[in-house]
Amino acid sequence: MSFIKGLRCRECGREFPAKAIFVCEYCFGSLEVDYDYERIHGRLTRQLIESRPANIWRYRELLPIDGDPTVGFHTGMTPFYRADRLGHALGVKELYIKDDSVCHPTLSFKDRVVSVALSRAKELGFDTVSCASTGNLANSVSALAAHAGMKRVIFIPADLEMGKVIGSLIYAPRLVAVEGNYDEVNRLCAEVAARRKWAFVNINIRPYYAEGSKTYGFEIAEQMGWKTPRHIVVPAASGSLLVKIRKGFKELHKMGLIPQPETRFYAAQAQGCAPIVTAVQEGSDIIKPVKPKTIAKSLAIGNPADGYYAADAIRETNGWAAEASDEEIVDAMKLLAQTEGIFTETAGGVTVAVAKKLIEGKRIPRDESIVLCITGQGLKTQEAVADHIGKPIRIKPTLSSFEEHVKL
Amino acid sequence: MPKKIVQLIFPQKLIKKPVIYTMALKCKVMPNVRRAKVTESVGEMVLELEGTRENLEKGVRFLTKQGIKVEPVVGDVIE
Repeated sequence: MSFIKGLRCRECGREFPAKAIFVCEYCFGSLEVDYDYERIHGRLTRQLIESRPANIWRYRELLPIDGDPTVGFHTGMTPFYRADRLGHALGVKELYIKDDSVCHPTLSFKDRVVSVALSRAKELGFDTVSCASTGNLANSVSALAAHAGMKRVIFIPADLEMGKVIGSLIYAPRLVAVEGNYDEVNRLCAEVAARRKWAFVNINIRPYYAEGSKTYGFEIAEQMGWKTPRHIVVPAASGSLLVKIRKGFKELHKMGLIPQPETRFYAAQAQGCAPIVTAVQEGSDIIKPVKPKTIAKSLAIGNPADGYYAADAIRETNGWAAEASDEEIVDAMKLLAQTEGIFTETAGGVTVAVAKKLIEGKRIPRDESIVLCITGQGLKTQEAVADHIGKPIRIKPTLSSFEEHVKL
Repeated sequence: MPKKIVQLIFPQKLIKKPVIYTMALKCKVMPNVRRAKVTESVGEMVLELEGTRENLEKGVRFLTKQGIKVEPVVGDVIE
């Protein structure tokens, strides 16, 4: 049964049918899925959600599909737990981690958005999915489309290192290496999207794709015991995750499932690509695009599509935004690994480093609940830390050599 | 005639200059402004450009050369 009302322009509010479109034909504003909340209210209860399998579709009434889901039956309900050792290191009382570094099947939160996007793409009659990506998104589209039996076409820059390609190539997508930089790959992909009847997960079916991020927020609320934290630090690339976690909290409240959220939102970006941080700190309404230069590649979006909305959400909730240098990112990845046993990718390092900064700068109080969003797996970006974690102790195969060199 | 949707970010020094009009005249491109926002330090405009493929490219080059950031309106694709 469908609870989708249609698509609505986020700028001018015009309504459109729930098809494969992504911008308003009047003002070119981005479109967002609108639901029939009146029909969902009362039907979707805590008991019903808790009785369903542990995956993103336990919140299916608030996700943009008409029929039954077809992709992502093992995605979501990732670990959420109290991180006392990291909390102690940061000097705070109540710290939690939502850990999507172990999201199924490709170890990043992208599996959530892609599962939703592909389920919807199938409903809309697409048999081919596509995206341009160098990392997590390419992995996720390749894997989930393979499992869904869909054709898959991935665009990448031709000079991308082989190591980054393997996580996609194993699923046998049609991998198109474009002789150009990221911007040129992007541009070409958009032009192809206008010609081919393919589902481009973050172009023509972006409104559905983006809704998948809400499940990250739904799960935090459910796993906290049907409430929301006072503070949440979210890594920001396009800014969409932050915006959608907030939308998720608001929807749960609207459906009577949680008390009024009083969560402050904080965006974490890398110093070499921080257009949202700049807008928040300058109090500007306009996001100024930048040329990214950072080791946090998965956050390297110089012109964030949801930047304005993310900055707005931060302002409305009295949150803040801050950036972390490459060195701080690596230190934070090590801190998280050495206190909580989580090896996150660089984006997770950005989140932890920025949280530390915000706590030290008294933007986040030390005695209230804080959630850190860890969204990807460190094994994918080993080169970021390879030169910063020391070396094994080399010894001879004798007890005396062991005793001589190994001191604890 | 081909069309192109773009987002323009104007630096402060260009906000008061008729850059779009000049581009339209010089490059034979027809602009249709759909959305705009101006603050003290920066301006943002979303518009549709219509012209021959060659003129559209010329127009975008002209705007870029003036110091305007020209971005496609397609959302984020790369990660």
